[in-house]
Amino acid sequence: MQYSNPGYDGVVQRPSRLLILALAFGVALIGTFIFGWRAGRHARHLRWENEPIRPWMSVPFVAHTHHVPAAVLFHAIGLEPQPQDRRPLRTIAREQHRPVEDVVRDLERALAAAGHTHPALETPGGKAP
Amino acid sequence: MREQILAALSQYGSPALFAVVMVASIGVPLPVTLLLIVTGSLVAQGVMPMWWAIALASTGSVLGDQIGYAIGRWGGAALVSRFAGLLGGPERIAKAEDHARRWEGPGVFFTRWLVTPLGSLINFASGIAEYPWLRFLFWDVLGEALGAVLYIVLGRIFSDRVMELDAALGDFSWMILALVAAAVLGWVIWRYLRGQGR
Repeated sequence: MQYSNPGYDGVVQRPSRLLILALAFGVALIGTFIFGWRAGRHARHLRWENEPIRPWMSVPFVAHTHHVPAAVLFHAIGLEPQPQDRRPLRTIAREQHRPVEDVVRDLERALAAAGHTHPALETPGGKAP
Repeated sequence: MREQILAALSQYGSPALFAVVMVASIGVPLPVTLLLIVTGSLVAQGVMPMWWAIALASTGSVLGDQIGYAIGRWGGAALVSRFAGLLGGPERIAKAEDHARRWEGPGVFFTRWLVTPLGSLINFASGIAEYPWLRFLFWDVLGEALGAVLYIVLGRIFSDRVMELDAALGDFSWMILALVAAAVLGWVIWRYLRGQGR
């Protein structure tokens, strides 16, 4: 490698390059631990936490992720149960002329109520909150 | 964008899956891993059969990759430079071209399912470097099929935890990338210090 910058004999540049490499190495190591820790945390949540309800989900999708019959949720938002109805919650909310947050809230209430009657909602440590 | 894509998949199923994976393979940054995981969940819910989901995802991805390769090979410099901005600039394309020449088949294979952010770049770069089309197709089909099977099966297993699974896989990919960077930098420092010691 050539270090022929005028005014420098190369001695100054070498340690500065090493310093940059060492810093980058340190950042990469820290990144490895941070992302590893985050991946581990998500992996733990995979086992114990229920999926939050998102506006892109359909009613059968929410029913599947929370292990309750879809009919319970369809009724909760004032719809006749139809297994083939795969409309996203946002579309349903638009058609019902109300904010999607309202629809999500109704579903969450229905899930909370269903938690008392559907054992699938129970976690190993007891019933879901 | 993410919400709309997932909503389209949830509502329309197969056509949305095919279209999104194809467009993403050409180079548009879309959340394909999450899409495949949600597809796995839809498989678990009985919306579509497993073989059909895997076939659609693989075919759409391969088709998009072939379009990227064709742009690189026959589209000419003007077309490639037009896509260059979208893919991180000409320097990134030049790096990917160098990567394609050095790693060839395995490079195509691993960027289909493991180092997916580089996938579209490698398509263009393989075309520009005139990597033989049949060999590109072979590694492409192999890698895309493996990627589709891997993420759809994972989505099926964790069908009630798709968002958490996506987050875990995302952080896991970054961890691998950081680990590889640390290993490469460590090796460079070690070589540098060994050279100083002589």
